[in-house]
Amino acid sequence: MSVEEDWAQLRTLLLAPEQTQLDELRVRLDNRSVEPRDVSRVLPEAFAIRGEGDQQMSTVLTPYVENGFVATVRKSPQTIVDAIAPIMGPAIRQAITRALQSMTEAFNHSLDESLSLRGFQWRLEAWRTGRPFAEVVLLHRLRYRVDQVFLIHRDTGLLLHHVAAAGVVIQDQHVLSGMLTAIQDYVRDSFGATQDQTLNQFQVGEWTVWIEQGSRAYLAGVIRGSPPASLREKFRDVLDRIHAEQADALESFDGDAALFQPVQPHLEDCLQAHYESGQSRNAPKLWILGGTVLLACCWWGWTAYQAQARWTHLLMQLKTEPGILVTNAYSTWGKHYLEGLRDPLSKDPSSLIREAGIHESTVTASWASYYGLDPHLILRRAQVMLKPPSTVQFRVDGDTLVATGSASSEWVIETRRLASFVPGIVRYNGEGLVAVSIPDLLNQINHAAIHFSLGSATVEPSEHSSLNAVLVALRDLDQAVAQSGQRLRLEVLGSADGTGSATLNLQLSKQRAEAVLEILRGEHLGASTMLPSGIGEVLDKRVALTKYPAQRIVTFRATIEPLDPQSGPARP
Amino acid sequence: MMQKKVCLLGGFAVGKTSLVRRYVTNVFSEHYQTTIGVTVEKKMVTVDRQDMMLMLWDLYGEDEFQHVRESYLRGSSGYILVLDGTRKATLDTARLLQQTVVRTVGPLPFVAIINKSDLRSEWEIDQSVIDQLREQGWPVFLGSAKLGQGVDELFARLAEMLLSAAPPPRVSR
Repeated sequence: MSVEEDWAQLRTLLLAPEQTQLDELRVRLDNRSVEPRDVSRVLPEAFAIRGEGDQQMSTVLTPYVENGFVATVRKSPQTIVDAIAPIMGPAIRQAITRALQSMTEAFNHSLDESLSLRGFQWRLEAWRTGRPFAEVVLLHRLRYRVDQVFLIHRDTGLLLHHVAAAGVVIQDQHVLSGMLTAIQDYVRDSFGATQDQTLNQFQVGEWTVWIEQGSRAYLAGVIRGSPPASLREKFRDVLDRIHAEQADALESFDGDAALFQPVQPHLEDCLQAHYESGQSRNAPKLWILGGTVLLACCWWGWTAYQAQARWTHLLMQLKTEPGILVTNAYSTWGKHYLEGLRDPLSKDPSSLIREAGIHESTVTASWASYYGLDPHLILRRAQVMLKPPSTVQFRVDGDTLVATGSASSEWVIETRRLASFVPGIVRYNGEGLVAVSIPDLLNQINHAAIHFSLGSATVEPSEHSSLNAVLVALRDLDQAVAQSGQRLRLEVLGSADGTGSATLNLQLSKQRAEAVLEILRGEHLGASTMLPSGIGEVLDKRVALTKYPAQRIVTFRATIEPLDPQSGPARP
Repeated sequence: MMQKKVCLLGGFAVGKTSLVRRYVTNVFSEHYQTTIGVTVEKKMVTVDRQDMMLMLWDLYGEDEFQHVRESYLRGSSGYILVLDGTRKATLDTARLLQQTVVRTVGPLPFVAIINKSDLRSEWEIDQSVIDQLREQGWPVFLGSAKLGQGVDELFARLAEMLLSAAPPPRVSR
């Protein structure tokens, strides 16, 4: 017993730490479940080792990655958007820029060609050959264009990828790839060239085929026109990039060309085109066209503004014009329409339209007649209806027509009766009107005498009042005679006293009559008054007719005679 | 889609082109065969529901004046040997061509077809020779360009062989 205990004690003393470790190991061995912490230590390394061996890891993980991606897109699309925005943004911008460039180019071309003689010739050619005009233009303006680009596996001659410009007619690109490879082999064999010496270029008609050789694949570009040397550098760059990016796929190519889909953008970069007329040449035409359009817009805007201003001005004028009331006014497409009321005595709207600078044919107006109560219109209406002689003045005071001056008693009576019938007139005030009768006026004139000094034929200032009275009477008489449809004949009679010789007296009488007649001629008398054309014709009658045969005076003889429609009133 | 380069080989006037003409997409004139010694044609086949595009390099008939350009053989995944049943000499040519291929690009899958089965009575290649070839591992078909026989089976068999074969050995250039 003691021996056993001693041994145990000794073991404990000597092997205590190791014993503890052994116990732990035993526990771990008994517990087969794997600790996540242990796995996490080796997981990345395990992935790397397995990934080098085969594609099994990718195959296994692909569905999970895909599901995870789909779930992320559904749950928080913004995260994906944020992640790919830096890549997609420039790509989209580039695509839009290209599309715009090609659109502008196409527009410039068609603009250029449609305006030039050459364009007309090309249109003829298109018509003659039955080809689309765009194609004819393209062929003439083309400096070079890469029609097709082939990426071909060098050993097998199999097509890895192919791109073609829009509208290019493509034969079977797979067969073409084989033949291209065969031709290269043939040429190399025929000339005994080494493997490094290759066919780099051949030309058929307007086409040039450039071949850029790589270690695993070669690039063949079918180019129409004369390409610049820089394009070959572009081909070289693209081929190098493809070799770098697709090294594994090229190395292990077994006929599955689907793996080369990612090279599409690189090949599309090679599909370049350059046209004879650059942007700079086209730009002025575009500017001219743009400028013309802008000018046309400005001109149109300015004329439209002016037309609108004229129309507004016309409406303002019509609004302030007495006797015109616009109830509706509108304008569409350069045509104007007016509706309203109009007093027949108001100003003609057509004249207002002309004054506003608007062509009458563009205005359609429809006016209904009415009587305006504007004082100005009432006055005009009264003048039109009552026909006052020029010796009468009308004035409208509220609803009262006030008449002043002088007129024949017949007119005065008639006006007093008719005045209230004038629309707008309620009362008539004729208190300031003096009624004169023709016999009174004739009497006044025929009894008037202008006195002269001894031996003088000059009208003295003292006689002017007498002469003025004759003139006033003459005017009134003229008005009265005109209204009665007659006319007045006036004779001016000069005379001298008994002193002096008869010849001298006759001469003096004549001179005196002439002096008075001269004053009468200078005054404005009515149209119905006939002044003598000369003095001579009345001289012979002088002695017989005058009531003052031996005085230094001039007298008048006024007579009324019916109006002769043939001769009419005569004025000196 | 899987693509494979396949060479069409045979002696002069064995009827290679006639045999496949109606089964292929032919873009180029046969004139090329006499100028550069090859015409490339395309044949679509379906094996195990998988489409395969065979690019047929129809090489000019081997004769005493013109030999097959070995450079055309490079990159092939397989080949077709065409014989004329009425001319025994074409079998020798076929053997030589097969050796050339093996020497140039290695032991590739291939099929052989003996043409002019419609003139069987005039054949110089008898059944014992055919059996012998088959014993040597040659998949031999009998066909007729005139009657359009044997060609589909020929392509189907070759396609199967290509599909199951390992990628062709790489030939450094």
